[in-house]
Amino acid sequence: MPLTAELRRSFYEKMVLSRAFDDAMIALYWEGKLPIFSFGAGPLPGELHCSNGAEPVGAGVCGALSADDMLTADHRPHHVAVCRGVDLDRMAAELLGKKTGLSQGKGGHMHIYDPAVNFASSGIIAEGMAPAAGMALARRLQKKPGVALAFIGEGAANQGAFHETLNLVGVMKLPFIVVIQDNEWGVSTSKSESTAVERNSDRAAGYGMAGEYVVSNDPDDIYEAAVRAVERARAGLGGTVLELKTARLAGHFMGDQQAYIPEQMKQVDPIPLYRAKLIRDGVLTEADADAIEAAGKARMAEAMQFAKDSPYPDASEAFDHVFAGGSEASDHVLAGGSGASDQQKTGAPA
Amino acid sequence: MSRILTMSRAGREALDWEMERRDDIFCLGEDIYKFGGIFGTMDGFGAKYGPERVISTPISETGFIGMAAGAAMEGMHPVIDLAYIDFIGVCYNVLLNTASKTHYMSGGAVKVPMTLLIGTGGGYNNAAQHSQCLHATVAHIPGVKVVYPSNAYDAKGMLHTALRDENFTIFLTHKATAGVGWMGTPIKTTLSEVPTEDYTVPFGKVKVYREGSDVTLIGLGMSVHECLKAADALEKDGISAQVVDLRSLVPLDRDGIMEAVGKTGRLVVTDEDYLSYGVSGEILATIVERDLSILKKPPVRVTMPDIPIPFSRPMEQAILPLAGRIADAARKLMA
Amino acid sequence: MTTPVIIPTDLWDEDDRTGSIVLWLYADGASVKQGDLIAEVLVEKVTLELEAPASGTLRIQVEPEVVVNKGDTVAVIE
Repeated sequence: MPLTAELRRSFYEKMVLSRAFDDAMIALYWEGKLPIFSFGAGPLPGELHCSNGAEPVGAGVCGALSADDMLTADHRPHHVAVCRGVDLDRMAAELLGKKTGLSQGKGGHMHIYDPAVNFASSGIIAEGMAPAAGMALARRLQKKPGVALAFIGEGAANQGAFHETLNLVGVMKLPFIVVIQDNEWGVSTSKSESTAVERNSDRAAGYGMAGEYVVSNDPDDIYEAAVRAVERARAGLGGTVLELKTARLAGHFMGDQQAYIPEQMKQVDPIPLYRAKLIRDGVLTEADADAIEAAGKARMAEAMQFAKDSPYPDASEAFDHVFAGGSEASDHVLAGGSGASDQQKTGAPA
Repeated sequence: MSRILTMSRAGREALDWEMERRDDIFCLGEDIYKFGGIFGTMDGFGAKYGPERVISTPISETGFIGMAAGAAMEGMHPVIDLAYIDFIGVCYNVLLNTASKTHYMSGGAVKVPMTLLIGTGGGYNNAAQHSQCLHATVAHIPGVKVVYPSNAYDAKGMLHTALRDENFTIFLTHKATAGVGWMGTPIKTTLSEVPTEDYTVPFGKVKVYREGSDVTLIGLGMSVHECLKAADALEKDGISAQVVDLRSLVPLDRDGIMEAVGKTGRLVVTDEDYLSYGVSGEILATIVERDLSILKKPPVRVTMPDIPIPFSRPMEQAILPLAGRIADAARKLMA
Repeated sequence: MTTPVIIPTDLWDEDDRTGSIVLWLYADGASVKQGDLIAEVLVEKVTLELEAPASGTLRIQVEPEVVVNKGDTVAVIE
């Protein structure tokens, strides 16, 4: 599919919606957590890793995919999920731990699963690599179409699973793309401190795969590279290491002061840049762009309201879904029983 | 009067003292140079000891922990910071087959002196892959010492012991007890007056936090502090609860367990690890094998159930070994 | 002679952020020496340190979890 005005407008809409999601979650995150920071407090407890700055990756890559394709993502999944079309209401509800969430409150923000759009994310670094390759293998055995993509950070390219998976993809010539989102920082460790080569896409040659590198953090460039990788995969020509330089504007996790980032390495927000570009190119007017932003915020406000209005799961639901097909009740006993006086802490947060 | 320290500060003091005096100690871990590790175990060490002795690694646990084992075999004493015990999955082979077994497989010819600092535990909605305790999974490996202090005094003393030990030691700290400010206000019972000079706390001995005559509450890590809260509540009901901290899994103080439980005959074992195939079962097995007659009633285990840890607060809070659950179990034993 | 223990105005950068004492390293009435680390102050997720400005007996005036601003007196040293 060529890069049409319509497609580019859709990139902007998706990026804006993804940003609206993250900004709404960031605002909610601090509720109840101060003055003494406590992870478990407030309506959005736990850790939160937001995708501000990485939206072009979600928009550009997902724009090149079809419904058959399969995606795994990591602890920073929101932009990929939103751009892939993961159910926004249910994702918001999942972050708030509600019963209506994608995982009925069991997974939380790092563990987002939406089989309807073939999307799964999880929290151990590089954990999604091999499963994505396995999904591609399954489709081959089932004689069904589908390219598999694993979205990781540049830090994950130094984890054993990355190398083993790429070698397997090379040996089996699987339709697989690893999307390396290089935002320069693995928590506080810069890429130059942790990686033996300058470009991870150069590592592809070591695994019999193609490597592509996009530096602009612009969804148009990302889309074109993704299309090449997808076409290669669909043609049976094997995998691609797609290395995309992107930005991490909101820290590693919420609360990260980022004191370790020197002034000269401060990153740029891609959304205003793309907005300006589309206006220059006549794809949008200022009014169009404003309307898109308002629509994104409004849609997110709806999703947030749905999440807030949804009920929490009952404590007893903790014992569901350990095994498919149910299990003997006695297998998942709460030894020693429950504590009535602890129940004050359950339900709505203080 | 000594200063009152958190476990995080106390442990750091021990490591700092040893590193100042010994060239064989160096540190490895993710984000330790600038950040001092995710839980501040090495706060300030980068600036003080430099990048050769405080090595921030890529995300390559099998790689750098395997390297640590090799460095130990060559006479160094590496100290590794592995922030979350949930991550042992990516490097378990080094723990299981290399660091723990080399001394034995070499007939004593090769030593592997290294200390692995790991954070454990949940209770703050960090979901299934970032909230586990898994102390049973590491204690099960023959050839590794496993300790788990629950207060600042023990943290410093046990870390001195670990650093002076020629063996592979896993030193566990429950995140909620470490006293890092961003996990909420430090829990009072984790704080201790800590001497500025060095001292050791030996492995292999339980600690009795609180004497009692009616029921024994055994805990580990964070559950010790929930036992202490439960004991306060039970006191109001006229029940005298003894609180015992295992604090050392390998070696395990089986004599100490028998002696403590022998005083009351009623036992609640608390454990934030999963119920089955673990530490809580090991305690019960010890009693059954040695002298069942010390028990007046069948013991009760208050542990995490055998399920992945759910994210949402109502579900997670209901399954943790919290004070209310512990006190209720104790009351049932008294009925 | 009484020396106040004040949250320094340069302890953290942003003026609109408040902090909170998480921990006093000495009990009320303890002897402290000038330069001793006596408290931890948490600002959002960062732990900052407070040192004793003088030697003497510490008298704590602000307990943990109470919000503090730059310039607040949290204790005195007698």
